[in-house]
Amino acid sequence: MNRAVAQREVALVDLVDRLLGGGVVIAGDITLSVADVDLVYVSLRALVSSVATAEEKNILPAMGDAL
Amino acid sequence: MIELYAITDDPAPPEAPVRAVTCDGLAVLCAPAEEREVTPDDLWRFEEVVERLMEGRDLLPVRFGTLVSDERAAARAVAERRDELVAGLERVRGAVELAVRADRRDRPEPPERSPSGREYMRAKARRLEGARLIHQSLAARARESVVQPGPEALRAAYLVGRDEVEDFIALVRRLQREHREMDLVCTGPWPPYSFSPGSGA
Repeated sequence: MNRAVAQREVALVDLVDRLLGGGVVIAGDITLSVADVDLVYVSLRALVSSVATAEEKNILPAMGDAL
Repeated sequence: MIELYAITDDPAPPEAPVRAVTCDGLAVLCAPAEEREVTPDDLWRFEEVVERLMEGRDLLPVRFGTLVSDERAAARAVAERRDELVAGLERVRGAVELAVRADRRDRPEPPERSPSGREYMRAKARRLEGARLIHQSLAARARESVVQPGPEALRAAYLVGRDEVEDFIALVRRLQREHREMDLVCTGPWPPYSFSPGSGA
């Protein structure tokens, strides 16, 4: 895994947190259903947990490198 | 269908294909939505658009996946919550978000695999104490902070002035040196997702 890819994977956890759990929630005419969002979350969860595993094994860059 | 990216009160027009739909002093930054399967690359693409918009203006990012039927619907959605969005923009004015996660390098084994329950509890207490000290130092340097749920001892977001980002990162590096038993990961700067109305912060 090259460095840029590794950093992107480290940041993916934060990206998912933010895009799917943060931001302004516009009520009303949303047509992308909640079910679809849940599906996105589920499909990403596998990736996220693989990142967590990599971090535990300490093979990803530590603090600061992901900046 | 159009996809909403952000809300701003900055009058500067965005780069195509993003358009500004204005409504009583606010603008919704949006673009035609494409039919697609949603993948991590789509999340990054959305993030790149919002980050580019954030370079020149203060904004509130809209939650990923918000599609509306047309520009009139976009303007209506903003008009309904105008006061809240104006206050939200004031809150994040001149600031960005930094994400920090921290955990012990030697994450304690669960009690059933650990030599003794007492040892596990001690390890857990040390882990949480390290996280608490790190968060305390970072929060003191940020405008606002929010601790978020996650498997780590600390997962948090900090709202930091654009001109204070370097100082904040220097502090993260210092804390990493002072807490060698902890692993710190800091990412950003992010648009202020965790400090937008509706994000729970």
